[in-house]
Amino acid sequence: MARAARFSGRLDTVVFAGCIVLALAASALPTQMREPVAASLRRSLVAPLVGLQQSAEGWRAAWLESERKTLERDTIALELAQKQSLQLENDRLRKLLGLGSRLAWGFIPAEALHTSGRAEDVITSLTLTAGSKSGVTPYSPVLAPEGIVGLVQTVDPTMSIAILYSHPDFRVSAMSADGKAFGIVYPHLDVRPGRLAERYLLELRNVPYRDTLKAGTAIFSSGLGGTWPRGVLVGTIVDEVKEPESWARTYLLRPAVNPAHVTSVMILTPKRGSQGVGNIWASATQVDAALKSIVTAGDSLGRQAAIAEAAARRAVLDSVRRAGIGDSLRRDSTAFDSLGRPRAGVARPRPRRDTSGRDTSRPDSVRRDTTARRDTLRPGTP
Amino acid sequence: MNWTSAIRTAIVCLILIVLHYTLRPLLAWRASIDFLLIALVFGAVRMRPAGAAVYGFLLGLATDSLSLGAFGAGALAATIVGFSASWLKAVFFADNLALNAFFLFIGKWVFDLVYVLMERRMHGTEMLMQIIVWSPLAAAVTAVAGVIAITVLRPILEVRTA
Repeated sequence: MARAARFSGRLDTVVFAGCIVLALAASALPTQMREPVAASLRRSLVAPLVGLQQSAEGWRAAWLESERKTLERDTIALELAQKQSLQLENDRLRKLLGLGSRLAWGFIPAEALHTSGRAEDVITSLTLTAGSKSGVTPYSPVLAPEGIVGLVQTVDPTMSIAILYSHPDFRVSAMSADGKAFGIVYPHLDVRPGRLAERYLLELRNVPYRDTLKAGTAIFSSGLGGTWPRGVLVGTIVDEVKEPESWARTYLLRPAVNPAHVTSVMILTPKRGSQGVGNIWASATQVDAALKSIVTAGDSLGRQAAIAEAAARRAVLDSVRRAGIGDSLRRDSTAFDSLGRPRAGVARPRPRRDTSGRDTSRPDSVRRDTTARRDTLRPGTP
Repeated sequence: MNWTSAIRTAIVCLILIVLHYTLRPLLAWRASIDFLLIALVFGAVRMRPAGAAVYGFLLGLATDSLSLGAFGAGALAATIVGFSASWLKAVFFADNLALNAFFLFIGKWVFDLVYVLMERRMHGTEMLMQIIVWSPLAAAVTAVAGVIAITVLRPILEVRTA
């Protein structure tokens, strides 16, 4: 028994030593002798394992590629979103620069920070990044290029808080552009649940019964009360609020400024507020209206020219038809009605290779109506 | 070891070898799991030292066929590890997870040490970093993976008696 165990132990040692010698010999083999051994192993025993590894690496490459593509797609989406927001911000800043150049002096530029928590909350106040150190005082008017934003309520050295026109305490004395109808602007608080968008509307109250205002009429601050200078755009009339047994009219106003888009504002200094802002907003509105009327007039002229051209073409065709020159022309004339349109059931003749004929029958010679396109390109569109 | 347990051990080793060529490339860790070493130790502790040495030699030679620069290095390292695992298992017989993990850790580290020295590709700081930092890390990962593999594959190895 002991002899067998001793033999077994000796055999183990011998086999181990043999394997070690073989391994050392394999590592010491020259390349041209080592390669056939390795190649035979690669082609037989290791081949299926290499195939498995190849598949696994293919899966990994596909997974990494998918990750990369997802990352790229997300990056592009993010860049697109940022581009849109940057474009909006750029537009706003351009308008603000325009307002700044028109105001010329007596204003403090500030960033508007939204402090509202939930999306369904109505925004009634803003934090402004300018305070008493910059010259901001309580009750200073806060403006945007489009018009009235709100009023500074509290002032700290480096920041201030302003109430928006949607705040229940907000009031401004207002008037129509021609200065005939006056009233007081209040926030529109009587809103049915679920119609949050209406919460940002305003009400022009206490307008005398004799004064009627059409929808779309621009309403400006009147300058009465001493806080707001005269001539700042408040909004436009949407509709009249019908109230039984009332002694004055009330109108719903769509504000010129959307609170959600307010990111940069201008705070008027008290001195500038008392001296007024001139005709800045009214002239801007007039420029818009003038541009609109010019574009409309241009379009109507274009339409008239196109109609005249079509009529002249019809007249030429009629005169040719009346002359009745040759059989071919007579045959042609049976294929068209009195307006020059091809008749139903009659085979349409092949167009002749005549340059004059081709010119008169070109469909693109009729001008297209460009009203919609010009409207979208009109500068100063809100 | 009877035929049934030999076949079961062979199946487990085969599963581990397949994992080495499928799961390892998918994970592609810097300190990667060496399923071949787990298969080597797992098989070696169930064999006589002579069989374990041959098993290690063949396994090492098969892997060496894919890396011509180190032909023979893997065979030598695997032979040493296989024989040592089988011999140590015979001396300190115990079948608990901690001992298996220890064998795997030491086995992987020794394997890497022999392989790096035999390969003669790395020198100086690079070799030191490989031996002191990356090899122990890979050994630890291999030990953990080995313990998990043994736990999962244990039902295959258990002989059921009626």
